[in-house]
Amino acid sequence: MPAYFLEIAIVLLGLGLLMVDAFATTLDRRLLGHLGIAGVAAVLAGLVFGVDSSASEPLWGFYATDTAALFYKGLALVCTLLVLVLALEYAPVLESYRDGRPGRRGLGEFLCLPLFLCAGLMWMASMTDLLGLFVALETVTITFYVVVAYMRRNLGSLEAGVKYLILGALSTGFLLYGLAWLFGLTGQTNLAAIQTVLVDWKGDTTPLLFTMALLMVGLSFKVGAAPFQFWIPDVYQGAPTPITAFLSVGSKAAGFIVLIRLLEPLLASPIRHAVLLMLGVLAGATLIVGNLAAISQSNFKRLLAYSSIAHAGFLLMALAAGQPAGGVSPNGVVALYLGTYLVMTMLAFAVLVIVRKAGGSDELTAFNGLSQRSPFLAFALVLAMASLAGVPLTAGFFGKFFSLVLIAGAGQWALLTVAVVAAACGFYYYFKVIRCMYWNDPVSEAPPLVFSQLTRVAIILLCVAVVVLGVYPKPLTCLLAP
Amino acid sequence: MAEIDNYHAVLLQLLLVIGLAATMLGLSVLVGRAGRRNAIKDSAYECGMLPIGDSQPRFSVKFYLVAMLFVLFDIEVVFMYPWAVVFRDLVAQNAMVFWGMLSFVGILTVAYVYALKKGALRWDN
Repeated sequence: MPAYFLEIAIVLLGLGLLMVDAFATTLDRRLLGHLGIAGVAAVLAGLVFGVDSSASEPLWGFYATDTAALFYKGLALVCTLLVLVLALEYAPVLESYRDGRPGRRGLGEFLCLPLFLCAGLMWMASMTDLLGLFVALETVTITFYVVVAYMRRNLGSLEAGVKYLILGALSTGFLLYGLAWLFGLTGQTNLAAIQTVLVDWKGDTTPLLFTMALLMVGLSFKVGAAPFQFWIPDVYQGAPTPITAFLSVGSKAAGFIVLIRLLEPLLASPIRHAVLLMLGVLAGATLIVGNLAAISQSNFKRLLAYSSIAHAGFLLMALAAGQPAGGVSPNGVVALYLGTYLVMTMLAFAVLVIVRKAGGSDELTAFNGLSQRSPFLAFALVLAMASLAGVPLTAGFFGKFFSLVLIAGAGQWALLTVAVVAAACGFYYYFKVIRCMYWNDPVSEAPPLVFSQLTRVAIILLCVAVVVLGVYPKPLTCLLAP
Repeated sequence: MAEIDNYHAVLLQLLLVIGLAATMLGLSVLVGRAGRRNAIKDSAYECGMLPIGDSQPRFSVKFYLVAMLFVLFDIEVVFMYPWAVVFRDLVAQNAMVFWGMLSFVGILTVAYVYALKKGALRWDN
């Protein structure tokens, strides 16, 4: 089976569920979510067992089926699967912020839209042509505009929607202008063809630098790198929590796929040093801003937003190294980092969804005494926080470790110092959450924490993944080879 | 002098045009109803809209919905034009160009059916 059948299957699944939602007016909308989960799981099985990547390049060189492409497709599918589980858990909160008769409050669409997001992310993983890359990126971004503002009676959600729309459109403008310059300079839209032109670039490098700056600004918005990170805390806080999780993992992964694909020709061109310098400066600024701003947060969603900025800094740092070191390649480290980041972030958001549903608040105080109310959830969140902080023997350790190895190998000692200090900051604000859960007393008459068996299974699997990947990262290290 | 002579015809036409316009306007003021004034006639002409009112009038959100659907399905036709131009050449190579457009229209059909079933085009709800 060629790999592009997977995207077609996901789109058909989404369209099918949309039709079921339109025609079956009396159906319990939750069933759509369960059907979606089953469908995505089936496609995931197809990706793991049924894809024939040795087939010759289909679709006129638009579409790559290398290891990285298949890995990011898997990442998108797993992410969508977990988001659908969280969305089912979050449904009562979502419906309370929308109008209409019970059961007709748009839950059906909310469960279908992640599938289209997933299809966009999967396309993006494979695109090797400027046109395809941009269309796939827009498929993802426009769908995000819709779901971020989904809670129509919640001012925070609307504010998030407007901010995301305006800044997203602005960043898309920068990116598109950069792509236009790239096409103007090389006369090609295929990235491999662009690379052959840029390798032999003999003329003035000023237009190349300008192009690179435009592309970097556009993509820095998407991945949330400082100084283009201002939208992240507000949008993450306002969006429905499952969508925040998707933004935090899926959107970031998407930004990095595009960044890696576009950097490849630029790093082979005469402006290689300028590109690496710019990446290094962005990485350093992002590490400092993300980690220092996270320290004072009292809202758990905002804390996770700044944490996602901080992680973007580590990911950029791996790219800024620019060369393999210690047997690992920058692109491989980014893939490994995003894979482990998915597991631990989803775990944190799963616990947040359950606590939010019971207590009606995203504040850190809502986590007070969680260890007494639900030892299971408290333990899961401890694992997630430890992993996000990068404690050894958890999944988060290896991503941070390898990005430090890379930057040390490249001899960029200033950046290495910043990264080590930033990682140390992380321990403070992640462990603040653990202190809330174990040292503080719960508020009296705290409502019981209820969640479905499906969510319980998902949390257990994520906990197992955090521990197993921390002890035995072999399944992911095959990506690292330079 | 000879060049100026050539412009006599233009001068004649200018006089004729001005005369005709003046006659028509003058006659309609003298004989017809155009000369009579009233309050509505003296107000500013704003393409048929009332010139005085709230500066931020509220429109029903239904207008936006219909306009948005119009734009979406209008774009469909925009894509079809270049496709139709190259269709004959490309379909001779393989049928991919045909199936590509068919799947595109198929997705839009699903969207149209969805909009219909959700009552997006029903005006009185």
